[in-house]
Amino acid sequence: MANNLTPKNMALRVERYDYRLVFSKKGRARFISHLDMMRTFSRIFKRARIPVWYTQGFNPRLYIMFPLALPLGTESDVEIMDISLTERMDSDELMTRINSAMPEGLSINKVTEPAMDHKDIAASQYNIRFKLKNDKDTCGLFKDYLSQDRINVKKRSKKKGLIDIDIKPDVKLLSIKEDDGFAVADLILPSGNDKNINTSVLMDGFKEYAGEEFEQIYTTRTKIITKTGENFT
Amino acid sequence: MTNKEKIEQLLLNVQKPARYIGGEHGSVVKDKSKIDVRFAFCFPDVYDIGMSHLGMKILYSLKNERENFWCERCFMPEKDYKQVLIDNDIPLYALESLDPLYEFDMIGFTLQYELSYTNVLSMLELARIPVLAKDRHALAPIVVAGGPCVCNPEPMSDFIDIFILGEGEEVNLELMDLYNEVKKRGGSKEEFLHLAAHIEGIYVPSFYDVTYNVDGTLKCIKPNTDDAPPKIKKRVIADFDNVFFPDYFVVPYTSIVHDRSVVEVLRGCIRGCRFCQAGFIYRPFREKSIDIIKNETKCLCEQTGYDEVSLSSLSTSDHTKIAQLLKELADYTDLENVSLSLPSLRIDNFSSDLLERLKTIRKSGLTFACEAGTQRLRDVINKNITESEILSTCKTAFEGGYTTVKLYFMLGLPTETDEDILGIAELAHKILDVYFETPKELRGGSIQISVSTATFVPKPFTPFEFEPQATPEEIDRKQKLLVKALRSKKIKLSTHQDDTSVLEACLAKGDRRMSKAVYQAWKKGCELDGWNEHFDFSKWREAFDECGLDMAFYANRKREYDELMPWDHLDYLVTKSFLINENKKAHLAKTTRNCKEGCSGCGINKSYGGVYCGK
Repeated sequence: MANNLTPKNMALRVERYDYRLVFSKKGRARFISHLDMMRTFSRIFKRARIPVWYTQGFNPRLYIMFPLALPLGTESDVEIMDISLTERMDSDELMTRINSAMPEGLSINKVTEPAMDHKDIAASQYNIRFKLKNDKDTCGLFKDYLSQDRINVKKRSKKKGLIDIDIKPDVKLLSIKEDDGFAVADLILPSGNDKNINTSVLMDGFKEYAGEEFEQIYTTRTKIITKTGENFT
Repeated sequence: MTNKEKIEQLLLNVQKPARYIGGEHGSVVKDKSKIDVRFAFCFPDVYDIGMSHLGMKILYSLKNERENFWCERCFMPEKDYKQVLIDNDIPLYALESLDPLYEFDMIGFTLQYELSYTNVLSMLELARIPVLAKDRHALAPIVVAGGPCVCNPEPMSDFIDIFILGEGEEVNLELMDLYNEVKKRGGSKEEFLHLAAHIEGIYVPSFYDVTYNVDGTLKCIKPNTDDAPPKIKKRVIADFDNVFFPDYFVVPYTSIVHDRSVVEVLRGCIRGCRFCQAGFIYRPFREKSIDIIKNETKCLCEQTGYDEVSLSSLSTSDHTKIAQLLKELADYTDLENVSLSLPSLRIDNFSSDLLERLKTIRKSGLTFACEAGTQRLRDVINKNITESEILSTCKTAFEGGYTTVKLYFMLGLPTETDEDILGIAELAHKILDVYFETPKELRGGSIQISVSTATFVPKPFTPFEFEPQATPEEIDRKQKLLVKALRSKKIKLSTHQDDTSVLEACLAKGDRRMSKAVYQAWKKGCELDGWNEHFDFSKWREAFDECGLDMAFYANRKREYDELMPWDHLDYLVTKSFLINENKKAHLAKTTRNCKEGCSGCGINKSYGGVYCGK
């Protein structure tokens, strides 16, 4: 372009104030894809009139950062989103204002300063409530499945397509119990930049092991854990 | 498991599941025990398309304003989810309550384009509602349909109980009030239909008998009951400035085609391009005042959180105070970091002032709907723009740094010759020359001109309703001619698939017998016909053959002025004599002035609120 090479807001060197929001994604909201979360939150902030900071380029965009993707269909109590504002805001007020503009299923639980680095994230804890079809002994079968010497599953890799891996060393089962015909498992799987294992990899492997489809399955991320074992949120 | 739990489990395995579960910001949920009339507004295409439709947004909130009515949304599922619904025995449901459609009082379809017709049948079947109107005996659900295609709804007459002609803001409520009254006293469907036929704009197809001549043309269309008027008049909102407009939209999670706030600035068009159905069926031209538009823009942006607002109309720059409107709107949008887009601008009033304004709000290229390649043919179709206007606009635009130009044309227009086709290539090359003549320090890096051609489809209630459509072979020849004539790598040509245009022409001008063919094609598996990957023309051909109907009879036959048209019992206020006169002028390549320059007597009474009517 011959003239006017300066981006729209390049001249405005605006101060930015960083915040980390911890939010839950429940019910119908779990069908909002990771890609759509960006869009959804940009509208929420606009409705709530939050003074968000825009990236400074030719195409100014809201600065929103999600360090961990949540698989479509999974609920969470502990999703993290980092945002920047152009002015300092009281945490409680920020939370109330955003929550008043949220659609069903999304709500901010905590506002903090972004103290820890995203790179510190090592694992996530999940609560999985599931039941196989045809009255199979879901709980027993799942215990058998995890107590194998190797847990061979198929994982989609960007470069190689579907690959076979053993996730035995990666799964850490905390507890499993039966509740009203469901098996309820609390377990930890690796998350983050270094290694990431989606619960569906584990659970698809289980379906194959059991030779049966799920009648119902509900997965919730309940905790994000750092390399040193601390709670990230 | 509840219906909701069941659906949620199934959604784990489908594409873009957020389309099927509701719960969006702005969706209206009511307590159904307090509701008198439940209305399911059905858009016969997938969510991504349907949610972009402004008419649905208007009627949705209009109905939900009323405490005792509850309007919900329903869309055509994609093939993957459709199969999931069938496999798991879940009837098609509305998105707010997740209740099956068969529990509703009224099912309303909007017929926006002909290729969505089979989806109506699919949706009814998925909802376990009998597809044929004659097989639905109870009062509920009543199946109604509105939208532009309803100006000739005959090919859908076997499936729909009531067609709603014209603008829906008043008549929808009148119809629902009447329904409520009949429902309360335990009345029958028959009784309701007879009463409904008295409401202006309501067309009950089963109340009309159609007879045919031996040559297959129509002989007579006549009501078979005293309750039905011989001619049904479309509804018009005369006081457009005060018409209902929503102060909220349902804001989807997933991306849809038009994902922004939309404010309607005017209705109708002053132009009278002779091929354009919208230009005639939405008459007269009415507009909203600047304050109302500003207020609606502000309300919507605040409620939805969209950072983009689009002004909707057939030709936004025809607003009588367009410059002032844009200035005042920009004051608001600039302040709020909202971008403003204007999808329908015309070349002739595209001044450098306006361009300057646009430069600050739009990053996209220029789009010109030239429609025809030569001045003679543009005069025939009454597209009153000249080559010099196009070129001078391009010059201004290139000097402003624009580098992409899109040009839209139609092939197969009445009286078209090879010279007109070659004229398209010539015009594109002239625009290219204008670019290269623009000083290097002003113009942008690299030019791209896209030429798109569509096949002309003659439509009811236009001066070209009498015209035949060019045969597919002829269109094919014309396309090849054009490909040969375009010599530059900077010019890209895309052409429209002709088979869909043939079907569109048939369905647009079809009569009641075509209902059978629509049914037959659907039985053969035709649905989502608007999507190239699903469209199967051979099945449509078979369906027409099996019903003894000839596509060429509908698409490629010239109609005489005195032939009875399948839509002649519907009154869209523009008189037939005006259309005939316009058709004659077209063949003489004579243009007609636009409404602003002076009334040409299309027949619309000035009581309908037209800005220029009778002037």
